[in-house]
This record gives sequence, structure tokens and C-alpha cells, in this order.
Amino acid sequence: MPWLLALALVALIVAMPALAEACPVCNSAKNEASRIAFLVTTAFLSFLPLGLVAGVLYWIRSSIRAAEPGESA
Amino acid sequence: MDEDVDASVAEPIPLPVRKKPAIPNGVLAMVVFILTEIMFFAGLISAFMIVKAGAPGGVWPPLGQPRLPVVETAFNTGALLLSGVLLFVASRRFNQDPLRAKGAMLASILLGMFFVGFQGVEWASLLGVGLTMRSSTHGSFFYLIVGSHALHAIIAICFLLGQYLQLLRGKLHRDALSTAAVFWYFVVLLWPFLYLTVYL
Repeated sequence: MPWLLALALVALIVAMPALAEACPVCNSAKNEASRIAFLVTTAFLSFLPLGLVAGVLYWIRSSIRAAEPGESA
Repeated sequence: MDEDVDASVAEPIPLPVRKKPAIPNGVLAMVVFILTEIMFFAGLISAFMIVKAGAPGGVWPPLGQPRLPVVETAFNTGALLLSGVLLFVASRRFNQDPLRAKGAMLASILLGMFFVGFQGVEWASLLGVGLTMRSSTHGSFFYLIVGSHALHAIIAICFLLGQYLQLLRGKLHRDALSTAAVFWYFVVLLWPFLYLTVYL
């Protein structure tokens, strides 16, 4: 019964974070406000560096194009 | 052999033309440094938000802890923002005539000093009513976040003062002013976010 084995494996993987208490958002939050704060700050710290790097790269590209308008065409 | 010498004189090897970078090296280095500083403050703010959200009863600052001077600091925030505007004006004037930048740059530096001095007075009064680094997490986060910003402000003011002295001597280069200005803009623009997060 390979499908039963696969089902058991999926169930184990889904349950694993709760068993290990590895997720700070699930287990460290004492109340709803804490849970939201964990989620918001996780997203904030995940996307901020990406946005910063993208912004700087765009700024550098724009500066180079502005400095050499003849070569951009 | 004489023919070779004559040929080299007649057709000199052209030297490579060094192009001016689109972004001054100092400014680019400062921007990269500021990226790391933004992440540093983002970490502090995130930790603060989590602790604030988990406060007993959802009350922040915790009961029994001194309230922060919101109105006075709003006034001080205005002074810092005005300082940033004046430095922007000084940079614009410097591009037209460096001597015309003196007044605005000096006013910007003095307003920056006023901001730091005002913060010092505020800290003294808060310490007097019992808010210290060890009194609570409220005190710890307040002094850590606001103190980190104040340290950056002091370094930026010293940097600007150095550039101002160079301006008085007539030796200030545009790129050096831009580099110092970028750091000051970072200090100025960061503060409203810290004010909204920590004080309100």
C-alpha cells in the first residue's frame, strides 16, 4: 500500500513543526497580538533586504543611464 | 633604430581616458553602509514590536513605568527635519556657489546639535523619574533604540562639522559634501519611524 505510506509521510511532515515546537509564530506567541507581531516582523525582515537591494540596483542603473544618455538608446 | 624613435614620437600611444563614475565612490560606499544600518534598526524595531505586543494586558508602557515626553519630542523631531531640509538647501547652493552654502550648512549643523542636546535633557529627566536600562524592558528598548540613533546623529554631526571646516578653508569637494549629506539624510529620515514606533 504505497498510498497509505505516502499519506502517513505527509501527515508526519505536517505534524512535525508542532511536535518539535520549532515555529516561533506558532509556539512562542502568548496572545493574538504577539502572533500577529511575529508574522509582521518576519515578513518585514524577510522582504526589507530584498527591497533595499532592488532599490539600490535600480538607482545605480538609473544613474548610469542618466550619465550616459547617448548609450542608452 | 632612429626610425623606431621617430615613429613613437609621431604616433604616441593614447592614454586610457578615466571616466568619472556615474555615482561618486564615497556616496556609493555610504549607501551600502546605510543598507546595513537600516537592517540593524529593523532588527531592533522588530524585537521591540514583539515585546510590546506581548505586554501583559496589552498595556504599553507597562504600568508603573514613566510615560515618554511625546509632545516635546515632536517639537524636537521638527527641528531635526528642518535640519535635513537646510542641508539639502546647502547642497543645492554649493553646486551654484560654494560660499553661498555656508549659512544653510551651519544652521543645519546647529539644529542637529540642538536635537542631540534636547535628547540629552530628555534622557536626564527620564533617568530622574526612574526609567533606566535595567528598570524594565521599556527602559531597555528605549535607551537602546533611541541611543543608537543618537550615536549615529553625533557621528554624522562630527562628519558634517569636518566638511564645514573644509568649506571655510575653500577645500570642500562636492562628492565629500554629498557623502556626508547622505548619512545625515539617513539619520533625519530614520527618526520619524523611530518616534512613531517607540513614543506613540
